[in-house]
Amino acid sequence: MRRKFFGGLCILSMVLMLALPVGALAQDTIKIGVTEPLSGTFKDIGERYLDGVLYAAQVINEGGGLLGKKVEVVPVDSELKPDVATRKAQNLILKDGVKFFTGGTGSSVGAAMAQLAEKQNVIMFTYGMDAASMTGEKCNKNFFRPGGSTDGRSFALAQLVVKMGYKKIAIIGQDYSFGHEALAAFKKRIAQISPSTKIVCELYHPAGTKDYGPYVSQIIAAKPDAIFTPNWGNDLTLLLKQGRPMGMNQKIFDYYINDEVTIEALGNDSLIIGSMGAEIWTISMPTKKNEAFVNKFYKDKKRWPSYCAGKAYTATMFWAEAIKKAGTTDVAAVIKAWEGLSFDGPAGVWTMRAGDHQGQVPYWYTEIVAKNKYFKHAFEAPRGMATAKSVEVSLAETGCKMKK
Amino acid sequence: MKQKNTSFIIIALFLAGAFMPLILKQYHLNMLTEIIIFALFAVSYNLLLGYAGLLSFGHAMFFGLGAFMTAVAIIHIPGLALWNAILIGVVTTIIAGFVIGSLLLRHKGAYFALLTLAFNALFYAVATKWHSVTGGDDGLSITRPDLSLGFTSISMASLTHFYYLTLIIVGAAIVFCWYFTHTAMGKTVLLMRENEERMKFLGYNTNISRLLLFTFTGAVAGLAGSFYTLHFQFVSISAISVDMTTAVLLMAFVGGTKTFWGPILGAFVYIILQNYLSNITDRWPLFMGFIFVSMVLFIPGGLSEVIMNIRQRLFGKKDNNGGKSAASEEV
Repeated sequence: MRRKFFGGLCILSMVLMLALPVGALAQDTIKIGVTEPLSGTFKDIGERYLDGVLYAAQVINEGGGLLGKKVEVVPVDSELKPDVATRKAQNLILKDGVKFFTGGTGSSVGAAMAQLAEKQNVIMFTYGMDAASMTGEKCNKNFFRPGGSTDGRSFALAQLVVKMGYKKIAIIGQDYSFGHEALAAFKKRIAQISPSTKIVCELYHPAGTKDYGPYVSQIIAAKPDAIFTPNWGNDLTLLLKQGRPMGMNQKIFDYYINDEVTIEALGNDSLIIGSMGAEIWTISMPTKKNEAFVNKFYKDKKRWPSYCAGKAYTATMFWAEAIKKAGTTDVAAVIKAWEGLSFDGPAGVWTMRAGDHQGQVPYWYTEIVAKNKYFKHAFEAPRGMATAKSVEVSLAETGCKMKK
Repeated sequence: MKQKNTSFIIIALFLAGAFMPLILKQYHLNMLTEIIIFALFAVSYNLLLGYAGLLSFGHAMFFGLGAFMTAVAIIHIPGLALWNAILIGVVTTIIAGFVIGSLLLRHKGAYFALLTLAFNALFYAVATKWHSVTGGDDGLSITRPDLSLGFTSISMASLTHFYYLTLIIVGAAIVFCWYFTHTAMGKTVLLMRENEERMKFLGYNTNISRLLLFTFTGAVAGLAGSFYTLHFQFVSISAISVDMTTAVLLMAFVGGTKTFWGPILGAFVYIILQNYLSNITDRWPLFMGFIFVSMVLFIPGGLSEVIMNIRQRLFGKKDNNGGKSAASEEV
């Protein structure tokens, strides 16, 4: 009897679940799907990115919306798996007619979304997927990157290293496509602008390495003046935590240095103070528009925007500009409007190159200092910028052959 | 009488399927295509689990292998016909099924389950590390080739066209699986599950029967995998991971392993629940797990048992196929 009762309950709950009203999307809005990992290991990054898109939508809607319609953000949990992201996105396209997608975590998700966008004729853009190949040999007309790339970041940091007069550099990165692309671009730029600067040590370690001892020993033995790395998350914190006590005291140049969560996780500011980074958006950029945005964000949310949120916000505002210029949400028209469009936003002027849909953006340098107005722990201070022109990769070099 | 009834039901289902594109929206049609593909996968799994009593934790390796081979073939052989892409996927899984089956055929029970798990892990590792061929974490994107029928060519870009192709080919494969259970070979499998010693005594080589069954179910799973790639136009390591085996295990259990059509129902419920639940909450696997545990605890016969019970109550007659083991069927 008990068995029957529970069995019945089980069936009933299944039927009830099927009957649950599924959060139907509003009819007359401009919908934008945001594919981010909203569960699992990278949940924190995904949520900080989503935060920026949501805030952009809020700002747009407060200002009367886009083309008279409200912008509706549809979060899509990609679980950082390309098949999950594309499957959910496909459902949104077919069911709700969603035409715009964005996302910032996982170049694998981005590459699959770009292919889906081309097949379904929707638009996918990214503010945080950095693999240069996405607007290089894998480029397509439905994919835009109003954000940084490994090329741009490495070029900017290489220029900074040379400008500061360092002559012997050690470089270390994760042993997968991202790390290799980042280090290759760095070496290329160093060779172009300062042949006398030597790479004294080049190391690759598996992503998620726990013991940096052997790598740190090699770096110290090579006696560099400075260290360059594109590492992020644990691969950055462990390198610092294990390297500094061993005597790896050189200045570090890193892609994602101004990550408040990473710095807090370090637990010891002295390990990271003095390190420098280059980002397409940083909280300390001394532009009027950025100050206005950062202050308004703080006023609305009672916390400072993360670098993820800032990037996502700026890119989403750029997308909104493209829609405004097109005057319609028709995909072909928006693609046409976005190509060549310039956007004077918080992070300076961003221009969308028509040939490969790679945003031509300036990179902002930061240095980690002890005293800052944002957090109790050490955080960034502005150190100038590299203009978009100075880090430009010519269209021919990207390997992009876009079918129009 | 029974045969006739079943043929009637099959024809009715195909006709109903043929009219679906007129009724359903694109979104639901998309889901239905997915359901048909996973129904085939679940049916092939159940031939092992329900009919032969072999619990496999490695069925995803065939599914994934078929999926990856089809994708790799389409990418690397320009102008490859759709048929050949599917054929390459299926033939590869036949070979893989035969080779792996030869290594496994002497094992049963927990040993068999763990060995299949190990082989699945091996395939998964290859798919993850062999970046240049499988795309690793990035996966592979393809474009469905057009279907060439000799005299004419049908564009497969349209979802409706692909739905019809799936309905016909995958539907036919499901019917063939059903037919298989009624052949002498299919009955051997049942008898083997019930009393292998006796079968051996009667002069059957049970190892060969098991190898044939393993290869056959592998090939069917490979066909499902091949269609999975064509449907999503994308394949990633998820298709060959243990998660995929878990999914098919859930489908078989939720639908019921004791009838042929139980897993089909299971696939239907699983895909729909997955779509609805993942819309509502990010924690949908938790609910799926809850359903699975409750099903196993309280309704071990799955949904098909429930339906059979209801039918029995309403019409008061005992179906000779229902609620009981598939083995009771005309043995």
